[in-house]
Amino acid sequence: MNAETTLIGQPEIRKDAAAKADGAARYTADLALPNLTYATLLRSPHHHARICSIDTARARCLPGVIAVLTAADVPGARTFGMIPDQPVLAIDEVRHIGEPVVLVVAASLAAAKSAAAQVKITYEPLPAVLEPKPALAPGAPLVHPGGNLLAQFNVDSGDLNAGFAAATVILEEDFSVQRVTPGYMETENSLARVNADSSLSVWVSSQEPFIDRACIAAVLNLPAERIQVLSTVIGGAFGGKEDSSLAVLTAFAAWATHGTVRIVNDRRESFVAHPKRHPARIHLKLGAKKDGTLVALQGQVWMNTGAYASYGPAVGSLLTEMVTGPYHIPNVSIETQVVYTHTPYSGAMRGFGSPQAHFAIESALDMLAARLGLDAAELRRRNLLHQGDLLPTRVRVNETALGLERCLQEATAARERLRCIPATPGKVSGVGLALAMQSMGLGAKVPDTSSHRLEWLPDGRVLIHLGAPDLGQGLITVAEQITAEALELPFERVLTAPFDTRDVPDGGVTCASRMTYLVGNAMLAGAAGLKKQLLANGAALLQVPLDQLSYAHGELLLPGGRHYPASEFASRAAEAGQPLQAEAAATFPYPAETTPQHLPAGMPHVKFIFAAQVARVEVDPELGTVTVTDLVAIHDLGKVINRLTAEGQIEGGVSMGLGYALYEDMNLKANGQWVDSFTEYMLPTSRDMPTRLELHMLEYPEADGPFGAKGLAEITVVPTAPAIANAVYDAVNVRVKDLPITPEKLYAAVQ
Amino acid sequence: MSDWDVLTPQNLSELHEMLSLPSRKLIAGGTDLIPRLHRARIDEPVELIDMSRLSELHFIRENAGQIEIGALVAHTTLFTSPLLLQCAPALSKACGSIGSPQTRARGTLGGNLVNASPAADSAPPLLCLNTTALISGPAGQRQVALADFFCGPGRTCLQPGEYLHSLRFAAPAGRWGMAFAKLGRRNGMAIAVVSTCVYLELGSSGRIDTIRIAMGSVAPTPVRCPQAEAAFQGAQPAVETFDLAAAALIADISPIDDLRASKEYRLQTAQVLLKRVLADAARQTENR
Amino acid sequence: MKTLTVHFTLNDAPQTLVTAAGRTLLEVLRQDFGLTGAKDACGGEGECGACTVLLDGEAVNACLVLIGQVEGRRVLTIEGLAPAGELHPIQAAFVAAGAIQCGFCTPGMVLATKALLDHTPHPDENEIRTALAGNLCRCTGYTKIVAAVQMAADKGQNER
Repeated sequence: MNAETTLIGQPEIRKDAAAKADGAARYTADLALPNLTYATLLRSPHHHARICSIDTARARCLPGVIAVLTAADVPGARTFGMIPDQPVLAIDEVRHIGEPVVLVVAASLAAAKSAAAQVKITYEPLPAVLEPKPALAPGAPLVHPGGNLLAQFNVDSGDLNAGFAAATVILEEDFSVQRVTPGYMETENSLARVNADSSLSVWVSSQEPFIDRACIAAVLNLPAERIQVLSTVIGGAFGGKEDSSLAVLTAFAAWATHGTVRIVNDRRESFVAHPKRHPARIHLKLGAKKDGTLVALQGQVWMNTGAYASYGPAVGSLLTEMVTGPYHIPNVSIETQVVYTHTPYSGAMRGFGSPQAHFAIESALDMLAARLGLDAAELRRRNLLHQGDLLPTRVRVNETALGLERCLQEATAARERLRCIPATPGKVSGVGLALAMQSMGLGAKVPDTSSHRLEWLPDGRVLIHLGAPDLGQGLITVAEQITAEALELPFERVLTAPFDTRDVPDGGVTCASRMTYLVGNAMLAGAAGLKKQLLANGAALLQVPLDQLSYAHGELLLPGGRHYPASEFASRAAEAGQPLQAEAAATFPYPAETTPQHLPAGMPHVKFIFAAQVARVEVDPELGTVTVTDLVAIHDLGKVINRLTAEGQIEGGVSMGLGYALYEDMNLKANGQWVDSFTEYMLPTSRDMPTRLELHMLEYPEADGPFGAKGLAEITVVPTAPAIANAVYDAVNVRVKDLPITPEKLYAAVQ
Repeated sequence: MSDWDVLTPQNLSELHEMLSLPSRKLIAGGTDLIPRLHRARIDEPVELIDMSRLSELHFIRENAGQIEIGALVAHTTLFTSPLLLQCAPALSKACGSIGSPQTRARGTLGGNLVNASPAADSAPPLLCLNTTALISGPAGQRQVALADFFCGPGRTCLQPGEYLHSLRFAAPAGRWGMAFAKLGRRNGMAIAVVSTCVYLELGSSGRIDTIRIAMGSVAPTPVRCPQAEAAFQGAQPAVETFDLAAAALIADISPIDDLRASKEYRLQTAQVLLKRVLADAARQTENR
Repeated sequence: MKTLTVHFTLNDAPQTLVTAAGRTLLEVLRQDFGLTGAKDACGGEGECGACTVLLDGEAVNACLVLIGQVEGRRVLTIEGLAPAGELHPIQAAFVAAGAIQCGFCTPGMVLATKALLDHTPHPDENEIRTALAGNLCRCTGYTKIVAAVQMAADKGQNER
């Protein structure tokens, strides 16, 4: 990694910003295609029921109705998913409120909805189980025939009994976290068209377009080559758009009607029928010596994965790895159970188990500190992971942990500063901190390659054929910046092609805090490849030995001062039908010598990101209301690639973490319905954010990251809730162990 | 919604004609009605009467010591009205706390009252001002004390074919103070968990001559609190008396458990808010 | 289906429209005029502000305005804020401040900002946050949006 860079770390302005600012940006639901028809879904009103009959006769006859489809009409695989247990349309049984049962396609959305209202479905309601522990009890209603335990993960290291025997203090606590929704502003939607040659074009707001293509192919019994998946601008995803349901349903509707169909989930549907963050209960038993040295940790986790598997097992495995937080604990036993229930299913969501795990461990450490009479920061310092330490997964921590100590130092200093701020009259103030750790990548034994392609355009600019979608977070900008840096080009001279599976290689899923690292490394490899191509091409064209040519700033240089812009060669090559291109791929490294092999696929992770956040709160003791007045976010991201997008990730992550801590809860209402609207589900508004939000971006380079960069996206939401919980405890001596921290919970305890 | 018919009267006599069919629903700003109709997923045709052209119902004026507000005045206008800031500051503040800037630009005072949510923010200040509601219709006009206007959650005393025309209250005089507070689950776009308004006048002795207390979200409708008021009558405005009034409040309110809060929490925080609002209102009398 | 005729000004251009009476302004803008800058993010409940347009200069949720209610009035959408290919100073500020991530809330935020700055050219932070409290954003945490508004206010943006 050179110290000298031109673009790295600069606040380059994203090229898509202007179109987003002036309304020209077209999201999937904004696309206008000729002969567009509309589909709507009739969804289960029951948690669990048998479908006795579906009568579509009346609906089919209504004006404008083109088709009324059920599971029986699906030509190929009737279920899909990583674990394919999720029906395209319900088959004989519904397993959660909101599960799609009937698909109505019509000339207008109004006609589709009118027709849907005329479909008669008779259900036989069945007993339902909504929580993991009851779902595991003998005799519990089954969500799937194989039993309600979807997956279980165990991580053991050392000797737990010996560990607890050596403990002076044992803390045993239960924590619980709620169901939250990713809450992106653009709800899920897709548009599909059957083309004249019987191929299918599908536009979808999705993080995983190649997986969508595979699911569509299986469901429609078509070869993947006949299916083109395109991505236009995406209005936020946060993990919730790692789900093929809309792509599959829309493609199915188009195929069945040989037409062009759009499906848009409204906000209620988005709540109940697309992945949530796993609610969980975490039981922690933590043993420590008098001086605070942690000697043992036993964790039991019950995750409510809902009706379908989605990415539940993967979240479960990552959560298990995060239970111990960024600390060295020699004797550990963790068991995580991922449990089916008859609820809207959970899956990927920013943090992927880490926010849940850290709420528990970071709260527990503060509680332990209080028990031991130790300062909470000091307790952490005594147990912090260092380079060379072994994690419970037997991964040895590498130099990436260097930033961790500095995170804690800065957090401690921030805490002292914030403690000096006097409380507003009538309020009580408190300051709390939390550390966090997030993994990068998909985990060992899961293929994790991200492939892209770079091309010299005829005019000498460079086009990135990016194989994974930008979710709005600025992945394209980061890719362009790294490519431009590597090729010594101005930022404006690097562009990105629109995403189209027929054009781009498979870049994998945009997820897992892996894209800056993988895409960045892929761009570096691709840039090197482009230079090579240019040199080789130039040597041949100019009839000059290769070793006499060099490359600089988009030009080939010859001895004696002659220089030729890349366009000279690129334009000729393009005219000849052989554009100058290079593969740009990177694979996440899991070196066999150092990666433990004893755990299931997806475990362990071997690269980590660290952070700390410090929150100052003011509590109104008579009302229980909490205001976060200050938040200091200290993030080690290895290397800042784009200052603006990095800050944006942190600021946005903090708001999501704040909502998790204080406001958001998709719970079951007294009337038996899930919270499913923004009237009831409280996202933070501009008036709910701390007015003083301070960012510290540390740069402890990741040895093999692009310019030393790590990932950032997920960890930003991890320490926020425990920092706030710890601050609330500091203010009013009330320990809230179940999120969200509502005024009622505080008020009741303060009185 | 494409089946809906919308009639647009240009003046009150056209409105009266249209009201002869009582199944028609009145719409003003639409900020409550449109979401409600959407949620209800009504399939039969709906006939709406759009009141937004009725300039006769857009007014805020003073008339011989009476403040008169037309039902169609938007919350933003109420929030920024110099007249109201002067003689009913708590009403201004309450209207400024409703919803979002976008919904305040469209939502009307009449709409807020006719929607009759127990949490209607404009109601507690209007109740404290002993507001009279003018109800009109093809059959003529009648007046109802606002306290009698609300009949239950979402229900008013409006008969089929009637509409809320305007509100009227006497401009405060003497050594008066008025304050409003609302407790919500978040700072922006907050629906009241509890809301409180106090109006008081001090006599020459400095004791409380007149006191009116009203609350939202603690009963099936916005309510006056006579027991709390009685505990206060003739008292000195001081912390100890505030505590007494707060204790008496329990008899006046009957909150429930709902999504936003529990009954117990509302009972307790209603008392807290009342004490604070009493202190605030008392402070204001010092300026007069 | 009952129709009505509406005359209104849309982005400075007079329009006459005959359409179903029950349609909202949001629907009409998106479907009839292809102006897709205003978005539906909350299902027409007026809870998110993504459909914000200016009606006679005031920020309103287009999902809650019946089309007949714009009779004789001026509607400004994000597409009408600046001539094609140019950015209004508020838009430019959002771009420069890094206030745009996924962009879905951006048109609504920009128009709510315009309504604010037209009334209050130099708002303090509290006034800014209050003016934007009806516009939800899930990506940015609002920090750079507030900075963008301050940037636009500092540069003075009294146009249109």
